[in-house]
Amino acid sequence: MKWIIIAILFAACVAGGYLFSMKYKKRQSFYSALILFAQKLDVEINFSRERLKNLILSMDEKTKKNLYGIDKNFLTYLDGSSELTGEVLFKNFNLLKPEEKETVFLFFKSLGRSDVLGQSKEIQNFVKRFDESLSKCAQDNKKYGGLCFKLGIILGLFLVVVLI
Amino acid sequence: MLEGILPDKIYFPLSRKVGFGALNEIRLRADKPIVLSCMGQKYFLSEDGKTRSLSQAIYATNSMIEEIIFRASECSIYSVSEQIKKGFIATTEGVRIGIGGNVIEENGVVKTITGFSSINIRVPHEVKNCSLKAFSSIVKDGRILNTLVIAPPGAGKTTFLRDFVFQLSDRNLAFNVLVLDERGELNIGKSLGLYSDVISFASKKTGFENGIRSLTPNIIVTDELSEWEDMEAVRFASNSGVKILASTHSDNLESFLKKAAFKEIIEEKVFSRYIVLSMREGPGTMEGIWDENFNRIMRW
Repeated sequence: MKWIIIAILFAACVAGGYLFSMKYKKRQSFYSALILFAQKLDVEINFSRERLKNLILSMDEKTKKNLYGIDKNFLTYLDGSSELTGEVLFKNFNLLKPEEKETVFLFFKSLGRSDVLGQSKEIQNFVKRFDESLSKCAQDNKKYGGLCFKLGIILGLFLVVVLI
Repeated sequence: MLEGILPDKIYFPLSRKVGFGALNEIRLRADKPIVLSCMGQKYFLSEDGKTRSLSQAIYATNSMIEEIIFRASECSIYSVSEQIKKGFIATTEGVRIGIGGNVIEENGVVKTITGFSSINIRVPHEVKNCSLKAFSSIVKDGRILNTLVIAPPGAGKTTFLRDFVFQLSDRNLAFNVLVLDERGELNIGKSLGLYSDVISFASKKTGFENGIRSLTPNIIVTDELSEWEDMEAVRFASNSGVKILASTHSDNLESFLKKAAFKEIIEEKVFSRYIVLSMREGPGTMEGIWDENFNRIMRW
């Protein structure tokens, strides 16, 4: 029985470390997807001038998956008649810090609200800011992502030693 | 029709208390009361419907106007940039929204309009059979006569044209009708019958030339002739053997005859019928029909 409990505790610590490290990885993949999303919008707005809803719906599955539901929340806003708020856009989404949410919110808030030239410039400006965030997320992932996982293993081993 | 475009604050009193049947126009000007035009009468919009009392009126705001334009463009203002340059947006349901704001010009060409400060929402109506009074004057022995509908803004020109096209189809007069819908107002749902092709948002010149070459119509129906270029397009169609049913803005026949752009067309007798509409007894009041020599052949 003792060995089973030790094994469960060790697994839990490792899983905890892994989950913490995944947060950094998810943030990185979110910004990568957001940049792809913005770049696709920029190209399509200049080229086909297709409506925003159709552009979002036609986004590839991988990008959609890595946007963690923000695209769906934005579509819900587009289909409704109420104003876009942070609550609506970030429903069930907790990967970002408040100041990061503010930038992402402003990006979505600006979509569809100006002519081709204005919209394109705005998207390009936001892509630059997202690029900076992506670089920071990549550094964080490298720095803290691995660290969390290792800490989980060390904590697990420590508990194993203590319990034995 | 306007659900999803108008904010709830405007849509609910309009749909529940005013109704869209008698509504012709909704005007929103930033920081001013919302004005409704119903059968030629002006009212303010209030939470209880229409009112003449300024204190009860709902006031428009800049953000309200911007949101309506955003929604009318299906949340994609960039996709209607070309329309905005011309000063309006047309929805798929034929609602035309005229836009006022800061015009950005470069070398005399409008680049865009920003800082939207006022909008004029024109509510389209299908008035079945409104063209019937004039039908027999336009269609003679199975032939269509070139006809120009003359009326002031909001007097029912577009509604007349739309109904005429429907009446042709309804009587199984299977002419190929080309509808040049420059402002996206003529083509609403199935109102144009079975035998019509539509070219939308093209200039008269482009529409007439491309339409005649590619769709070989018997009749071209178009709204709001006004410029010299439009007259050239009409002449091109007439010389190609295509019949024309068109409209133009004018308060009455006298003011129409003073329009310089129409001088040559009138002298050449391109149009055989002139139909004058007015607002005298509400939109669509038919004042009379004149022939190419301006002899009145119908009076009401």
